[in-house]
Amino acid sequence: MMRHLMRAYPTLLRIGFAEMVAYRAEFLIWVLTTNMPLVMMGLWTAVAADGPVGRFGQREFVAYYLAILVIRILTSSWMVWELTMDIRQGALAARLLRPLHPLIVYSAEHLAAVPMRMLVISPVAIVLFVVAGPQLAIGDPVRLAILLASCAGAWALLFFTQVLIGSLALFIDSALSVFDIWLGIHSLLSGYLVPLELLPPWVSAVAHRLPFHYCLGLPVEILIGLVDTPSALRGLGLQWLYVGGFFVASNLLWRAGMRRFVAFGA
Amino acid sequence: MHALDGLAFDIAAGQRVGFLGPNGAGKTTTLKILSGLLHPSSGEVTVAGFRPQARAPAFLKTITLVMGQKQQLLWDLPPAETYAMNRALYDIPRKEADARLGSLVELLDIGDLINKPTRQLSLGERMKCELVAALLHGPKVLFLDEPTIGLDIAMQARIRQFIRDYNEAHGATVLLTSHYMEDVAALCPRVIVIDKGHLIYDGELKELVHRIRPDKRITIRVSTPADPEVLARLPNLVSHTDNQLVLSVPLPRVNEVVRDALASLAAIDLTVEDPPLEEVMRELFASHQQKRQPA
Amino acid sequence: MPPVFLRYARLLRTQLSIASTLAMQYRFDFVLKGVMALFWMALTMVPLLVVYAQRTSVAGWTYPEALVVLGWFALLKSILDGGVTPSLNMVVEGIRTGALDFVLLKPADAQFLVSTARFEPWRIFDLIGSLVILVYAFRRLGHAPAPAHVAAAFVLLAVAVLLLYSIWILVVSASFWVVRVDNLSYLFGSLFDAGRWPIDVFKGALRFVFTFVFPLALMTTYPALTLLGKLTFGSAALVVGGGLAFTALARLAWRGAIGFYTSASS
Repeated sequence: MMRHLMRAYPTLLRIGFAEMVAYRAEFLIWVLTTNMPLVMMGLWTAVAADGPVGRFGQREFVAYYLAILVIRILTSSWMVWELTMDIRQGALAARLLRPLHPLIVYSAEHLAAVPMRMLVISPVAIVLFVVAGPQLAIGDPVRLAILLASCAGAWALLFFTQVLIGSLALFIDSALSVFDIWLGIHSLLSGYLVPLELLPPWVSAVAHRLPFHYCLGLPVEILIGLVDTPSALRGLGLQWLYVGGFFVASNLLWRAGMRRFVAFGA
Repeated sequence: MHALDGLAFDIAAGQRVGFLGPNGAGKTTTLKILSGLLHPSSGEVTVAGFRPQARAPAFLKTITLVMGQKQQLLWDLPPAETYAMNRALYDIPRKEADARLGSLVELLDIGDLINKPTRQLSLGERMKCELVAALLHGPKVLFLDEPTIGLDIAMQARIRQFIRDYNEAHGATVLLTSHYMEDVAALCPRVIVIDKGHLIYDGELKELVHRIRPDKRITIRVSTPADPEVLARLPNLVSHTDNQLVLSVPLPRVNEVVRDALASLAAIDLTVEDPPLEEVMRELFASHQQKRQPA
Repeated sequence: MPPVFLRYARLLRTQLSIASTLAMQYRFDFVLKGVMALFWMALTMVPLLVVYAQRTSVAGWTYPEALVVLGWFALLKSILDGGVTPSLNMVVEGIRTGALDFVLLKPADAQFLVSTARFEPWRIFDLIGSLVILVYAFRRLGHAPAPAHVAAAFVLLAVAVLLLYSIWILVVSASFWVVRVDNLSYLFGSLFDAGRWPIDVFKGALRFVFTFVFPLALMTTYPALTLLGKLTFGSAALVVGGGLAFTALARLAWRGAIGFYTSASS
């Protein structure tokens, strides 16, 4: 099973990449859709024009939102759309007929998108390097390792969250509405719209205990050096705890959904 | 209320079996159960020694399911990419996959298609490519759900011939559903007929035709319209126009009727055949309905 | 009154009644979506609250003045989401599935038919919410807007809706060429979102884009200035002129798109 997977993976990656190339226009539009960080950047640099806000001067805001853009493009997932569509249109049946677990194939397809995303986001990454080069966690091997681990964690957390919500489509029609609510809370509590430390202290404290921050805010703060190494490691620990939790929960729901699927068909 | 009820049949390895029934009879449900996509609420299913619902990888590598209305080809990539993906997913050794792909491509004559994006292919071309994707792992059991739907007559015949060749070359078992009786008549010596989830016939196709419609169908083309007097004399006239008459005649009387018709009509052509399969099926379902009414 | 006008008025009435029958099929959904609308409105106010927790004025805009822009934005968005987007999403879907062919076969103007095909009556909740924001903003300001300014704002509202509709038609026209454009409507939505901020907070490229390319300034900031009694005659003329220009452009693009569709579709 594992060896089969290792042999299958390069092919799946290659085809995933070919699909990304085939859909490059759509992909580019998707990237442009992630323009909110730029708008927020414009807003906060205007606010910071007459003096810094907390630890954030104009340069810090620029670095923060560029980092948000980079991490968001790299780690975000389309799983919930894909899964709900496959369930609705019956393509899930074809996936179930293959001798590899559908979630493994999905994950391979998603990972295949990463190189293309790196390519597209590289200009932004370069600007970020110019703006905040010395602060970035890429010079120091320890901080770099923590950064990579937190990016992988963010990717996995988003993926399994979306498997969880997408699997709801096996039970209810409105899984995408549930995801919409998740997305709304995520935009606020992940640091996507506003750095968590600028929110009222109690909101920020709650947000640091919820999973949303670990989908985006944590790797961003590590990347631009907003957190010291000990608290970064603590954050990383909690992040991977959440990854484990969502992995288990999404698999349980998936299995329950499958029991339903094979009993009623679709 | 069960979609299927008391349905029992055995198919020996290597057989080609047609699976017939009106819309909603439970054909697709049965195919889904046999391929492990649906679990029966009760009863036993064994396919090639496996319990389908366990969906063991070894089982999935043994079977294939082709649905004429759905496709597995990646829409915006050439079929060759789907084949590469299936090779990876089914873990087929490269040599074996290349050899099989080569022979399938040759059999279906699609060498120039497999590198064009799927979206640019016609329906018939797509079905051919779809079949290759479904057979690349060399399955021993083929479940074909309406594989020729929407295709023109020539393409239907082509696909039929291919399925027959594959069956004969690999000794694979074929279970086929189709709306086109031609498909079934040409491909399947044996048919299983279900209606509302009940088995109503299982046996040879010829036998079914003879049991439901023992009469032969005689079609006579004439150069001049037949006399009304002659018409009245002919037995069981099914339909007639100025230049064609169709009669339905029990087998023992066929010789006598043919002789008589040739003598009294200006016949230019005459054929004797079984009644159309469509009619046989209609009658079979109608009689089955009647039997079920009182209960 | 020319009979053509009457005919289209009757058509509009029929389409509206079909749309509301459709919407009323799901009464529970209606209430649920209304509640969700209020949740979203509250959520999107958070960044504004966070910003004005730090400053009393941003780029020359006080908190209540910025609230007027936000309220106006919410008003426009409720009209857009309730009356424009649903129909035009159907066109995008129709191009993909080929159902648009049926529309083109009807003996009436296709742009009219597709633009009036669907409405989402529950957006009335957003409309009410936006009015609440506007009333609250003027209470904070301590004065009501002058009647003449309200009247002028209504004119600008009509122009803004026309503008939005025209841009949407341009997007839909583009979808005849690039078929997988579900993303395009997301892009539209995400860009429109920036309209909640006064145009003055943006500098450089963003400001240029939001004034001339995707004229958010004409749609939200200028009408808000009108309500506040600060809009100059020149700016008002710019809004009306811009609205008319986009409408003409949209009609041309639609014609071209239909020509392309009918000549190239198989």
